[in-house]
Amino acid sequence: MRPGALLVPALAVFAGLFALPAGALFVVSFWSVRARMMRPDLTLSNYAETFADYGGLLLYTLAMAGLVALLTTLVAFGFAFAARFRAGRRADLLIYLALVTLFGGYLVKIYAWKSILGRDGILNGALLGLWLVEAPVDALIYSPGAVIVTLCYFLLPFAILPIYGALRAIPENHLAAARDLGAGPFRAVRDVVLPRAERGVAVAFTLSFLIAAGDYVTPRFVGGGASLMGHFIETKFTVGFDWPLGAAMAFTLMLSALAVCVAMRLAYRRAVRP
Amino acid sequence: MSLPGALWTLFVTAVLVFLLLPLALVVLFSFNQAALTSLPISGLTLDWYATLFANRSFLPALRNSLIVGAAVGLLSVLFGTLAALGLVRLRPGRAAALIDLLSAPMMMPALVIAIALLVFFVRFLGARMGLPTVILGQLVVIQPFVIAILYARLSAFDWRLVDGARDLGAGPLRAFLDVTLPIIRPSLIGAGLIALSLSLDDFVITFFMIGSGNTLPTLVWGLVRTSLDPTINAVATLLLVLSIGSTIVALRLGRHRF
Repeated sequence: MRPGALLVPALAVFAGLFALPAGALFVVSFWSVRARMMRPDLTLSNYAETFADYGGLLLYTLAMAGLVALLTTLVAFGFAFAARFRAGRRADLLIYLALVTLFGGYLVKIYAWKSILGRDGILNGALLGLWLVEAPVDALIYSPGAVIVTLCYFLLPFAILPIYGALRAIPENHLAAARDLGAGPFRAVRDVVLPRAERGVAVAFTLSFLIAAGDYVTPRFVGGGASLMGHFIETKFTVGFDWPLGAAMAFTLMLSALAVCVAMRLAYRRAVRP
Repeated sequence: MSLPGALWTLFVTAVLVFLLLPLALVVLFSFNQAALTSLPISGLTLDWYATLFANRSFLPALRNSLIVGAAVGLLSVLFGTLAALGLVRLRPGRAAALIDLLSAPMMMPALVIAIALLVFFVRFLGARMGLPTVILGQLVVIQPFVIAILYARLSAFDWRLVDGARDLGAGPLRAFLDVTLPIIRPSLIGAGLIALSLSLDDFVITFFMIGSGNTLPTLVWGLVRTSLDPTINAVATLLLVLSIGSTIVALRLGRHRF
């Protein structure tokens, strides 16, 4: 059979369940709503409303997602680097544990942090027990910090695997050779490892950034609800029934997030250029 | 090298504790006698599991989760195997570009996929929401994982074995069934189990696609929103056991590389 024919079912799934629906969402983002009914239209008012009413929230969401993606990618790089170059025979075990936690459950993970950080949670219990505080600290949960920790926790295994995959292609003795030729430890990593890890780092960062930017469950459970853009997009579809505005908000968010990811990738490439 | 060994060990240990401890706590509290999630635990009990099984929504949700998971597992492995067989016949550069394209749904926030499918199904196709739409919605996000796993496996496949079978007179289908399939079977089962655990875990797409009824994650969502009883820990532990269990079996079956 020709290779093209074998790819037909997978491409049909991609086209029919991703490309076409994304196109439909894009078309609807130009529609209007009158008397709670969607009408085919060609208006830019949904985008105007997105920038006017949610411009500040958009920037805040991008900043939060950027912070989450940066932290996640840094920790994931450190872990993957340690597994690849420092752990010897234990590398497989480390990656195995990271892989297992990948499937630990999205809601379960968020719920776990809710029960750790909550008012009656484990952390408050420990702080009270150690006499470090006199009353439970409410600010542990329902704060930007709680959202950042929970999102990093969920995304970390997803970020470790592509970086580890990229690092595995780098022979260990190349790092040693750079050191023998007189490069300091950071110089050796910058010149030998970082340029060839670009693809893995880019996948890890982009995945973390996009998923953090579009998440609405984490902010609702541990961030006190209306904190990030995803929450407002979700409510346009579940309770507000303003699908065109929700569609315009989703496209604005995704396109600006993609622009940030492309800019970060270019900056990375420039920074590690020998 | 760049940091003394002790610091590296400390860092790796800290990351592992960060990854594993919260999940361990959920499991621990599902057996805790007291209703509060605080340490130390007051005694061990199976009461929360009894409460869970007595909940009238639980068994239908479990059933729906398993139906969807089985369907998504089978379909994604079928389409993924065909795609991977096609991809390994292409030049590596073209194959990588196609894999990047097919992986786009996996990189997107589930919310964006879910609302796009909702608009498409409801407004453009006039479809009724239910388990079939849940299956289709999950398929497009989970398929890329399966393709990546099977493409990695087939890239390392020794095609001389198939050539040998063909030289001895086997047709292409016969050679596939008698030679290729038995060799890659563990990877197929492994990829299917990983698809199953991703499916069991999906909340956002399922929530938008299901119309009425529950799967285990949407049941958890309802419980977390309405109450804070430790039944949630029990159903969360059950989800963990199902998804991590099938992942561990999958990893034992084949050496998966992402």
